[in-house]
Amino acid sequence: MKCRNVQKKLSAYQDRELEPKEQEQVKSHLLSCRACREQFAELERVWQTLEELQEIRPDPWFYRHVVRKIKEPREQRLFPSLQWVPRLLPASVIVFILLVVGILTGTYFGNILSQSNIFLLHYKQASETVFTSMRVFDPAPPGTLAEGYFRMVSYKESDSR
Amino acid sequence: MDKEIPSEDLMARIAERDDSAFEILVHRHQTSILNLIYRFVGDRTQAKDLAQEVFLRVWQSARTYQPKAKFTTWVYRITANLCFNELKSARRKKWFSFNWSDEDGEHTIGETLSDGAPSAEDILLEKERSRQISDALQSLPDNQRMALVLKRYDGLSYQEIAQIIGCSVSAVESLLVRAKRSLQEKLKNYEK
Repeated sequence: MKCRNVQKKLSAYQDRELEPKEQEQVKSHLLSCRACREQFAELERVWQTLEELQEIRPDPWFYRHVVRKIKEPREQRLFPSLQWVPRLLPASVIVFILLVVGILTGTYFGNILSQSNIFLLHYKQASETVFTSMRVFDPAPPGTLAEGYFRMVSYKESDSR
Repeated sequence: MDKEIPSEDLMARIAERDDSAFEILVHRHQTSILNLIYRFVGDRTQAKDLAQEVFLRVWQSARTYQPKAKFTTWVYRITANLCFNELKSARRKKWFSFNWSDEDGEHTIGETLSDGAPSAEDILLEKERSRQISDALQSLPDNQRMALVLKRYDGLSYQEIAQIIGCSVSAVESLLVRAKRSLQEKLKNYEK
């Protein structure tokens, strides 16, 4: 057997998966070929190294956990990531109710206020204030001597009757 | 006494919803299933969850179970499918979240160490070695890793591995050749 063929079969030889005849052929080749023997030794070294991977043991409650899983509702098993939804549900319902109540109350009072003309009154008063305050820039603002003079000058007898 | 009852017979009893038969079956196979998953996914907590899921499926499928193959081949096939699907969905989830796996926490040691109390240095060294091997294993493609774990730790034949993974015997041989070659490269600097 040639080295190239042996090297292809080294893995199966190590796993004892070759036909008995092939297994013998590889074995005898390894005895005579140093390069292939070294390659096989490296394969064995890695195989041994894998033994150092730790084994874990199931906890004593493993069976109980399995039984609990069998008994729990199907939805909970299928959508474990959605388990927080029921916990958040009351909070979101409360927020929604508050929002709806707020909108309805606001609309109700808004309608009442607009119907009772309170807004219009406010608007009128506000506009008068604006016009009064704008007279500050008049040549004779109200309450000044100039205003009194103008009133005196423009006084007519007919006005007093 | 429990060891005398073949797993296939226990499955027939589980189909009739015999709790005691199920308990025997779980206790008999829990360690091998748990470790197969742990070596494949590299995460202790995830391995425990998935192992529970495997037995849940065994319970659910008991009524349709046909003892054509060995029970272990059948249950390993369930396990392999579950592992492949889990990793696929975990990779999808990674797009949306941070990496939640704390690798340091996964390689807890000391459970299987010998009775003589190891020193803190020994424990750290052991932990580091185990982590290196686990990292090397995790770097292999899913199919190669599953084939390697089933061969190395469960001592299954190529024929059985082919049945579990769902491929041909020659494909298993090829998967193992590539897996061993990759590990040789990755564990080149590994020292005992």
